[in-house]
Amino acid sequence: MIELRDVVRSYPGEPPIHALDGVSLRIDRGELLAIIGPSGSGKSTLLNVMGTLDRPTDGSLLIDGVDTRSLSERRLCALRANHLGFVFQSFHLIESARVIENVANGLIYQGVARNERLRRAARALEQVGLGDRTTTKPSKLSGGQRQRVAIARALVSEPSLILADEPTGNLDSGTSDEVLNLLTDLNREHGATIAIITHDEDVANRLPRRVQVLDGKIVGTTTTEQVAR
Amino acid sequence: MNRPFSRSRSTDDSPGRSRLRTADRFRTGLGGLGSRPARTLLTALGIAIGIASMVAVVGISSSSKADLLAELDELGTNLLQVRPGQSIFGDESLLPIDAQSMLAAVATVDSTAGVTSIRADVTRNVHDDDPYGLGVIATDGDIHSVLQLELEQGRAIDRRTQELPVAVLGSVAAERLAIDTLDGGPTVAIAGRSFQVIGILRSHPLHPDLDRSVFVGHRFAEVQMGMKPNHTSVYVRARPDRIDVTRPILARTANPAAPNEVQVSRPSDALEAQAKVDQNLQNLLLALGGVALLVGGVGIANIMVISVIERRSEIGLRRALGARKGHIRSQFVIEASALAALGGTIGVGFGIAATYVYASSQNWTVDIPAPALAAGIGAALVIGAVAGLYPAAKAANLDPADAVRPHS
Repeated sequence: MIELRDVVRSYPGEPPIHALDGVSLRIDRGELLAIIGPSGSGKSTLLNVMGTLDRPTDGSLLIDGVDTRSLSERRLCALRANHLGFVFQSFHLIESARVIENVANGLIYQGVARNERLRRAARALEQVGLGDRTTTKPSKLSGGQRQRVAIARALVSEPSLILADEPTGNLDSGTSDEVLNLLTDLNREHGATIAIITHDEDVANRLPRRVQVLDGKIVGTTTTEQVAR
Repeated sequence: MNRPFSRSRSTDDSPGRSRLRTADRFRTGLGGLGSRPARTLLTALGIAIGIASMVAVVGISSSSKADLLAELDELGTNLLQVRPGQSIFGDESLLPIDAQSMLAAVATVDSTAGVTSIRADVTRNVHDDDPYGLGVIATDGDIHSVLQLELEQGRAIDRRTQELPVAVLGSVAAERLAIDTLDGGPTVAIAGRSFQVIGILRSHPLHPDLDRSVFVGHRFAEVQMGMKPNHTSVYVRARPDRIDVTRPILARTANPAAPNEVQVSRPSDALEAQAKVDQNLQNLLLALGGVALLVGGVGIANIMVISVIERRSEIGLRRALGARKGHIRSQFVIEASALAALGGTIGVGFGIAATYVYASSQNWTVDIPAPALAAGIGAALVIGAVAGLYPAAKAANLDPADAVRPHS
């Protein structure tokens, strides 16, 4: 589904900083995995590269067998609009828009008509358990609820891959569990492919596969057959 | 190789493209305005002031002009004045005695009235020697109908009273002589003789010189005061549709022997010239409004730059959701244009209101040219779009990876 081959991302400087230094990683359809590492290990850069928000300096990124190096800026935007979903640590909700509008924005750059967007957004909100909060403004919601809105926005476009950057980073442990459970449910019941970036061992340990990143390199991969709930 | 993301536009328009519907372009562009109503209003106010002043300038001067033209229409632009000019030796010439009757005989002339100015001091009492700076005009009475002079009170000089020592006062003359009523039989002194005041005229906008005059009977002046009978001015009412062919022949008709010693003028030309003078002032005020508009545009650009910085994460999010640079750019250009259009609309409203207030205080009918309103809003839109270009480019060129990063 998504494959990185010897990806290097370096920033110019004296000496140049290699945020990613020869990363090779393959994520298959239907997988749920954690990318874990301390801050500064390059895991956010890895997520940005996987999400095509950042281009690798060297190496290649293949999504569904297509080498993204050959794609124009426009095609990359199309790829993000149609095949990728993002969940950010700080939610990135538009505060002035109602919850359902925020979720419907997940489809706006696909050119989906507004009525259809709202219909699908309502369904996605049901999926994350916020079917009754559609007309609320985000500021009226708790942190966990806000993140669930962001998850609904990511999954409303039915992307091939959801990339979550520290999705529990701003949440306390209770709501953090709630969000993780939602993500694992989405993976198990709907077959969503999800990569979660985290620095939190406890979060990572609940996921079936863990990729450890340190100093821009993958230093280990562990798998668990079954996640303990 | 299978390339699912490079399908062509024509064969498939949803799964492989990033696209923003036109309605959504506007929705995203306008969405930013509603989230900060106070800021939106204050920023729009800059443009509003510029547009309001321009609309008011155009509206007020156009109303004033319309009023002037309505007045001209009422007074008639078909009135001509024939006067003696100077001979080629620089002496003051005279109109022939029969000038008026010759002019009256012209086929395209409707009516005529001849008057004669008299050099004489006007005072309130016979022994005053402090003149009031008033003119004395001798008339046989036909001037009232030809010039449409209206009486404030009393009556006019006519064929019968022109033989008597009576006077009719112009409005300014009455004021200077402090005569505001005919009760008690007021008199004035002209060249040492006492005249009974029998009437006071209303002010007449086309003939301010007549307002400052005292009218006496032509016959009386000629017989009793030794006035030369030649007219010093003949007013000619021409047929309105033949004014252009009538005017050139008047000099020759009035004085066939020396047509170059005759001056022909049209009193309404002075009022029209006044309307043209207003144009210069209007242009100056319009330029000032333009400066205000420009300042408003800079204000919009300023606020938009701030908005781009504040909404960095929204921009990052939109790029992550698949927005192209062009989508972000159009969002901010539309936002800036909408901000300006809002200002333009408010400004047009203020401008119309200001015109109404001023015009009604002057008793004018309001006349605001519709193109000026359209131009006001159009100018605002253009200024907004231009002001939005730079901030929009800044927003579009944000590095998406950088923009989505938490920055608190």
